[in-house]
Amino acid sequence: MEQDRVERTVRIAATTERVWDILTKPEHIGHWFGSGTPAAVDLRPDGVMVLEPGDGERYLARVVKVDPPHYFAYRWASAYPDVLADETNSTLVEFHVAAEGEVTRLTVCESGFASLTIPADREAFASYESHSRGWTEVIRNIADYVEQGAA
Amino acid sequence: MTTAVLDHADELFAALAEPNRRLLLEHLGTHGVATATALAAELPVTRQAVAQHLAVLESVDLVTSARAGRERRYTVHVEPLTAAASWMNHVATQWDARLAAIKALAETPPTS
Repeated sequence: MEQDRVERTVRIAATTERVWDILTKPEHIGHWFGSGTPAAVDLRPDGVMVLEPGDGERYLARVVKVDPPHYFAYRWASAYPDVLADETNSTLVEFHVAAEGEVTRLTVCESGFASLTIPADREAFASYESHSRGWTEVIRNIADYVEQGAA
Repeated sequence: MTTAVLDHADELFAALAEPNRRLLLEHLGTHGVATATALAAELPVTRQAVAQHLAVLESVDLVTSARAGRERRYTVHVEPLTAAASWMNHVATQWDARLAAIKALAETPPTS
């Protein structure tokens, strides 16, 4: 299922190796992901990576692929704190790191939302802004996601 | 919100993947309430195709219908849509913040 994904890109004035270190080293993950505490990371396929976004929860992500300095992927069960990510409860997060002239292009793609079941008690965060937006805009946003996914 | 809104998200996204169904939803939203005949008059598809699209949309709870005389009148049911989309937006916003943090860290010279 390729229709349900969020993709974001940023351009960074640093080498691909530097960006790779930030992405994968425990002390850096702790900073960009949230709490500031170094994250426990077993950086190999099926290794466990403990993510703490700073909301008091812990997420047990599972490393899928490590291909330095270009590709890093893990699954995380963002609706299920303390539960190890598997194929049924999680989304796939992929990072692509590529040199682009003088800078490095970093793209993150999170996919697999459609096959998730979100427990009712986690819905507050799933629908936190659902009443503040025009629904025709919402359709266009979904269309954008759908079309990005199809591309 | 009392039910797990994303428990049939795969069908929801599949329903919205068809451009004519999105167009149909927008037209229906503009009218508030409309019959398949009225919608077919405005769209580049047959009444039969409109009826089929409406059935798909109704099966994923994006439209509701009520019988009025010999025809059904349809209305848009927004909640599943806004919940799914706002969640995706929420995820995207979080990634924007994380990527900005990664950029800031990477562009700060290492202190070794």
